[in-house]
Amino acid sequence: MRRILSQARKELTQLFRDRLALALALLLPLILLFLLSTAISLTVHNMPLVIQDLDDSAVSRRLADAFRASLSFHVVSWPTDQPPEKALTSNAARGVLIFPKNLGRDLARGHSPQVQLLVDATDSNTARIVQGYVNQITRAFNQSSGAMASSALVTAQMRLWYNPGRDSPRFYSPGIFVMGISMFPALLAALAMAKEGEQKTILQVYVSSISAHEFLLGKILAFMFIAFCEWVLGMIALFTVFGQHLAGDPTPLIVGTALYAFCVASFGTWVGVGIPNQSAAIQAVALGSFLLVFLLSGLIFPIENIPAGLRWVSNIVWGRYYIEIVRDALLQGGGWPARWFSVLMIAVIGTFFYFMAWLRMRRMQVSA
Amino acid sequence: MSRIRALIHKELHQVRRDKRLAISLIVPPTVQILLFGFALDATVSNLRLGVIDWSRTPESRELVSSFTESKSFRLGGYYSSNRDIENAIGRGDLDAGIIVPYEFAREIHRGRPIDVQVLLNASNANTATIAQGYAEGLIASYNQQLAASGVHAAVRVVGPAPLPSRGIINSVTAFLYNPGLVNSWFIVTGTFGVLLILNGSLVASTAMIKERERGTVEQLLMTPASTTDIVVAKITPLFLLLMVMVLLAVGVMRLGFDVPVRGNMLLVILSAALCVLCGIGMGTFLATFTKSAQQAQLTAFFINPPLATLSGSMTPVEAMPSWMQPVTWLNPIRHFGIITRAVLLKGSGIDVLWPHFLALMGFTLVMLSLSIWRFRKQLG
Repeated sequence: MRRILSQARKELTQLFRDRLALALALLLPLILLFLLSTAISLTVHNMPLVIQDLDDSAVSRRLADAFRASLSFHVVSWPTDQPPEKALTSNAARGVLIFPKNLGRDLARGHSPQVQLLVDATDSNTARIVQGYVNQITRAFNQSSGAMASSALVTAQMRLWYNPGRDSPRFYSPGIFVMGISMFPALLAALAMAKEGEQKTILQVYVSSISAHEFLLGKILAFMFIAFCEWVLGMIALFTVFGQHLAGDPTPLIVGTALYAFCVASFGTWVGVGIPNQSAAIQAVALGSFLLVFLLSGLIFPIENIPAGLRWVSNIVWGRYYIEIVRDALLQGGGWPARWFSVLMIAVIGTFFYFMAWLRMRRMQVSA
Repeated sequence: MSRIRALIHKELHQVRRDKRLAISLIVPPTVQILLFGFALDATVSNLRLGVIDWSRTPESRELVSSFTESKSFRLGGYYSSNRDIENAIGRGDLDAGIIVPYEFAREIHRGRPIDVQVLLNASNANTATIAQGYAEGLIASYNQQLAASGVHAAVRVVGPAPLPSRGIINSVTAFLYNPGLVNSWFIVTGTFGVLLILNGSLVASTAMIKERERGTVEQLLMTPASTTDIVVAKITPLFLLLMVMVLLAVGVMRLGFDVPVRGNMLLVILSAALCVLCGIGMGTFLATFTKSAQQAQLTAFFINPPLATLSGSMTPVEAMPSWMQPVTWLNPIRHFGIITRAVLLKGSGIDVLWPHFLALMGFTLVMLSLSIWRFRKQLG
């Protein structure tokens, strides 16, 4: 035990002397958290919209005003003699709304006129949102003009749970937070381990009396400590800047965090043991932690949308389980019944990484 | 001129022998475009819907099936108490729930308005926004169906004298340029720009640092060639290699994702060339600040994420906070993304895209001259 602790202390001392490494460990996760959580969002607002009013009646002007008043759109002016598609090809607007001639007259006669919406569907998700906004506004317009009341018997009472303001940062910030914790402790652990291999100081370890377990655990403990520091800093940011709060039982989060710190530190150590070359180790960690966690963990885009041939990979992406735990603790509050499996999976994957690192170390120690 | 040609010749030979460089320029971009294109999909569909149907009438079942038969929702199970459905959403077993009240059918037949409750797990704001639109649309079309089939037509006569009915306005949506709403077209065209800049800068910084680590820069400087000659000669083969990568990426986009080419492909290639040069300039510039390849790689961790996220390549710029949106104009990837998407998907031409070309050219010139200046200062 004493050997493990002194190994960990040596590791931390070394780390604190390297300014770039220290910035990577403590500063970068925070920067990323702030930057990405504010920048990443899919719910667009204030979209430029062109309205071509071919009717120019009292009704059509009222409808146009309804669009002008909404926060979802800002109406940009467009010369009526220009084809409306031109507004889309030149990126002046993301949608064009065309009110047909005689819109007001048809309405008054009890017909149901159609307004046409042209959406720039280059980005399909945004296109769907724009369509949804337009439908909502026209429906509200119909209701306010008293037309819907007679026909709409069933009204949907929407209840948006866990995030009623549909605040994107509230959803994404826990994920980004997890991405930071997945990446940097692992990166530093891999660098430290690869450096031992590169500078051949590992040979001194082989000839010393320290066992593979003690050596690895010492290293892992040091980087778990880094992960905890990041965790505390990140949590402070989440609670203060992003307005998160605990939604329920925090024990799955606490147990999960301890296991996850072990998991990422073991992953980094394993990479470092396996690849005794710092540049290659950086690439391996970037691939493992960043690409996998970013792409296949449901961080931004839902896992269910990944094609089945690729989706199974997300079952072994450790970040995915921790994201589930953090999101649950901060947003949904499902507690143990909801998240026991995620905690278990982190433990399993972490143990696997540790075992692989140990296997490799032990073999080298014998052969050395 | 012959001096530069000789230097370029030397660099080309060097690059040609470096198989690892060629592989690193071909494999990762292809894999990345494929992975990003397939894995990043924001489509909201097949949401698991839990149902509590207190009414248990043909009318209520019709409403529920209009939800579950749509592509947006699928049946996640029937529940018998609010508590159960609440827990199921909390556990993540359901994404949404619908609660039809006991008096649903009765009120409809009396022609009286009735509420149904729709619960949505809104933790993911995007899913919630889109699902809300879907649900409201489904209810609206259910209402229209009711009105058309005249369920309560007979009743209405008994009630207060009917108002002179006014028509309602319907909006009909045409999705231009991507009527199938293929999400990968957006992601793939965005990833393209990110790849060009990030790979360009990585390759360039590695090449520069390698020369310095081996101490061969000094030998080059002793030749009569000027620093500009050296930098130009160094950049040319990298540029050619990266252009091969551009063609490869375009091929993957065409064949793997069926991205259409509606405009002039030359415009895309031209802007890609500018982007590559800009990336090379960035890499060279970065290389002059770092001591080792590994330090350059670590520094890239600070630069790449903001570059990639503040570009609108994976997530729409319009979704960013309004103070952040102007910042994205300082990002070459943003301009490149606009050009690629406009040319490939919308068929726009240079007449509307020239400001973005100008901006790209500006960035490229600034980055290249900055790197030459730093290079000269460092070695002078």
